[in-house]
Amino acid sequence: MSRRTLRIVLIVLTALGLALASYLTYVHYADIKPVCTSGGSCFKVQTSAYSKLAGVPVALIGLLGYIAIMASLLAPESENTRFATLVLTIGGFGFSAYLTYRELFTIHAVCEECATSAGFMTILMMLSIWRFLRGEPGDHASQQLAGGEGAQTAHVSAS
Amino acid sequence: MTPADADLTRKERREQARADRKAQEEAHAAQSAQRKRLIQLGGVAGVVIVIIAIILIATGSGGSKNAPAPKSAAAKTASTEVVSLLQGIPQSTITLGNPNAPVTIQYFGDLECPFCKQFTISALPTIVNKYVRTGKVKIEYHSMETATREKEIFQTQQVAALAAGKQNLMWNFVELFYHEQGEEDTGYVTESYLQGLAAQIPGLNLSQWSGDRNNSAYPSQVLADAQAANQNGFTGTPSFMIGKSGGTLKKLEIAGFTNAGEFEAAIEKQLKA
Repeated sequence: MSRRTLRIVLIVLTALGLALASYLTYVHYADIKPVCTSGGSCFKVQTSAYSKLAGVPVALIGLLGYIAIMASLLAPESENTRFATLVLTIGGFGFSAYLTYRELFTIHAVCEECATSAGFMTILMMLSIWRFLRGEPGDHASQQLAGGEGAQTAHVSAS
Repeated sequence: MTPADADLTRKERREQARADRKAQEEAHAAQSAQRKRLIQLGGVAGVVIVIIAIILIATGSGGSKNAPAPKSAAAKTASTEVVSLLQGIPQSTITLGNPNAPVTIQYFGDLECPFCKQFTISALPTIVNKYVRTGKVKIEYHSMETATREKEIFQTQQVAALAAGKQNLMWNFVELFYHEQGEEDTGYVTESYLQGLAAQIPGLNLSQWSGDRNNSAYPSQVLADAQAANQNGFTGTPSFMIGKSGGTLKKLEIAGFTNAGEFEAAIEKQLKA
């Protein structure tokens, strides 16, 4: 997969997650029932004690997370922005894992939207790790060689 | 070998050496960059794991409050509010209001459901004062399991409410439960909690209530409510049916539960029909 394609895939996945988190945040603040095909599961999860963290709705935390990931992807690509995407997606994955644990072992109900978002976040994290580890060809090497090559040229000229 | 050939060979050697050095430096730079990235990745993963562990520990008990103690000031306030709301309105088992009221609303709720609490505290008093107290509407309370985690507890608390209905005080029990509702999944619904609620209902004969809780008809009634909720296509609580009393009731779709406006419009429509 080319670097450009990888970035586009990441942006598309983030946009989907952003839309989902926006909907869940709207549902939370509008006091309405979420669309759910698995009976009252979504409702049960979203009205549980775990739908907030330190008083902040987890849907809003998710929304802010996706916005930050999108910002890191839309910024001019560099080692730093790739690292920022990595940090945010690993953080997002960790948070999704915590929420999924609560759904499965504490609330005993799974919210479809939350599970979908957790899926997006897992893929985003894996792709971000791959993107970060493979870096940009000659990222560090080209900088070091620029100096090294100049020094060698000077050395050759003097000899 | 001409001098020109010798020069060319030296140039070639120098270029070869340069190319070798360049390749070595590139490989070295790539290796150190990769090592640095792996260290950064490990560091980030470690920090995230620590943060999540802290969140798990901090929210282990749900980070929530339980229902107020039955004799606490909060419970007394709730009890006073409920008595004030329901005083003077006829009750008969699950029904609140004039038995001959022209319009019937069925309210499907789970006593542990926070949205039901919001509805019961925010919108329901307006409906009760404007339409039920005036004899225009009667409201039936039906159960539907959503927020309560354990089926057994759901049935126990619902049967306790139905047993209060035997003395025509079910709505006092239901209202008190919602007013004093604890945080979901904190296991606050215990036998002493249910006894405490019952003790706050003026006029409820506690020994009769305790005996009635063993009535085998009530679990069947809970089951019948579940079947009705399923037939009505409800996916959450609170859910409602509305219609002319004695006629066919229709599902009442409500977007928000805290404002009585949508309910009032639906009731007015039925009253005019």
